[in-house]
Amino acid sequence: MTRRRFRLLPHTADLRVEVRAADLPSLCAASVEALFSLLTDRRKVRPTGRRTLESGSGDPEERLLSILRQALLLFSLERFLVRDAGAIMQSGNVSLTVRGEPVDDARHSAYREIKAVTAHALTVEEGPSGFTARFVLDV
Amino acid sequence: MRFEGISLSQVHDMAWEIPKTGGMLVPGLVFASREMMEDIVHDQALRQVMNVAHLPGILYRSIGMPDIHWGYGFPIGGVAAMDVAEGVISPGGVGYDINCGVRLLRSNLEMAALRPRLPELVAALHGDVPSGVGSRGHVRLTPPEMEKVLAGGSRWAFSRGYATGEDVEFTESGGKLPGADPDAVSDTAKKRGTDQLGTLGAGNHFLEIDEVEEVFFPEAAAAYGLFQGQAVFFIHSGSRGLGYQVCDDYLDVMAAYMRKHALNVPDRQLACAHIGSDDGRRYLSGLAAAANYAFANRQLMAHQVRETAQRVLRLGPGDAGIRTVYDVGHNNAKFENHEVDGRRRDVLVHRKGATRAFPPGHPELPPAYRDVGQPVFIPGDMGRGSFVLAGTPGAMRLSFGSTCHGAGRRMSRTAARRSLRGKSVFAEMERRGVLVACASRKTLAEEIPEAYKDVGAVVDVVDRVGIARKVARLRPLAVVKG
Repeated sequence: MTRRRFRLLPHTADLRVEVRAADLPSLCAASVEALFSLLTDRRKVRPTGRRTLESGSGDPEERLLSILRQALLLFSLERFLVRDAGAIMQSGNVSLTVRGEPVDDARHSAYREIKAVTAHALTVEEGPSGFTARFVLDV
Repeated sequence: MRFEGISLSQVHDMAWEIPKTGGMLVPGLVFASREMMEDIVHDQALRQVMNVAHLPGILYRSIGMPDIHWGYGFPIGGVAAMDVAEGVISPGGVGYDINCGVRLLRSNLEMAALRPRLPELVAALHGDVPSGVGSRGHVRLTPPEMEKVLAGGSRWAFSRGYATGEDVEFTESGGKLPGADPDAVSDTAKKRGTDQLGTLGAGNHFLEIDEVEEVFFPEAAAAYGLFQGQAVFFIHSGSRGLGYQVCDDYLDVMAAYMRKHALNVPDRQLACAHIGSDDGRRYLSGLAAAANYAFANRQLMAHQVRETAQRVLRLGPGDAGIRTVYDVGHNNAKFENHEVDGRRRDVLVHRKGATRAFPPGHPELPPAYRDVGQPVFIPGDMGRGSFVLAGTPGAMRLSFGSTCHGAGRRMSRTAARRSLRGKSVFAEMERRGVLVACASRKTLAEEIPEAYKDVGAVVDVVDRVGIARKVARLRPLAVVKG
């Protein structure tokens, strides 16, 4: 499991997350890990299952939003928790493979409900030391 | 006066106007005391009031309530009415939790008599009313039954024995919004809603047992069946994952519509479509269906509260007397008729974190409330209590028949947890005389009373401005949180 690469920025009601990574695929992977770190203790999630998420085309913000929404749906629809994520760029798309398992109520506890990944104040910036994403989760 | 680069002129001791600048089509109007305004300026809420004022077809003012805070697109605590012919509908003006709202149940029980049984009752309610992240309800909807819930709302619940006729009568819009089309709700949204009907959810949603502590407006309290010392039940929840998904789905539809029609707004979360367009009408049909799901959701929980309380207290329905005072949403967009600039107009009112507050005599009110106005419920934090208000003519004049919806957060979730400095929330709440049952300790820590503005101060503003009138104050004695 990768070390924590995100922090929470001030926001009155919701969760505003900042994530840093070397490139866009890693940024998407780190953002998905951040999302699940805010949902549960990822250390208790076993990497027994895999799912693949594709970003589709669009600007970096649209790709990140698409990946994060799909990741949240893994939990909302399948009750699938992500332990870690890895990503590659494939034919212009970010292709993300996540490892994890369905919720086991005996081992997993949910910290909070995340209603949605919003597009509000969503940014992806490229700088000298890599990429930075900022996004708001509605809780 | 300028706060953080935004011009504000005080137009009343509790109201501030933001003049039209740039692409704003109308001014902004925010109801707040000076002290509150000094808090409000620290986040993006005022900027969002200005952004909303850019939306095509907006009428009169882009309005902010005293519990306003930073949302996505619209601020939470925002009201905007749109001209039906030229205006737009924006999912960001409703919010993810479509028709999130509050139900108040009164009872024949006096808190003094109930108090010794509270631990047993709150434990039973926590067990019987599913709460927490991903909680599943007692009813699993088949696809045909889901269609009926989306079309019928509380009336579906009545047809299945989960509601009384009185429950339906005392629910906003009779518990069923017109124009709902189950086909306008995606399969993904329906799948998310399959097993969540009758569940509380998490976050700021709750089920409370309160005592009516003080009555300010005896005629209205009597009409609502409330009296000092009475035990009442408060339910705050919405449309669950189904509603969140409807919002998400249509934000994408609206974004495509805006690109196609070259509509420009200052924030992509203000994505919108003209009310009369195919996309606009389809969202409104999906919105109504999700709103009906929310009505049915709160109805099922109200039914469960009644059953549980009667079982635990060994009382029959007549003796317990647990009956709906009213059920009203605070995240919606509804077609209404209002006077704008001296003439009556059909408008679409977006209320995001704002409660409908119709005055005495309004034809949409149940006959029992026609003389006193519509009940409005303002949940505060879990320590300091909540309020019952009544709708007023002032709300029709100043805010399209709308008022505030809660205390409004003043502290981020991280700051709330830090402020505890290792103290137990359970112990702290017990010290305040409030029993707490919860699914997630983290959620509970984020919902400490200090994280919220003082609801009394919020309510004082709307009472003084005249967009609602105080009826009663409620004191929480037991809280179930998700």
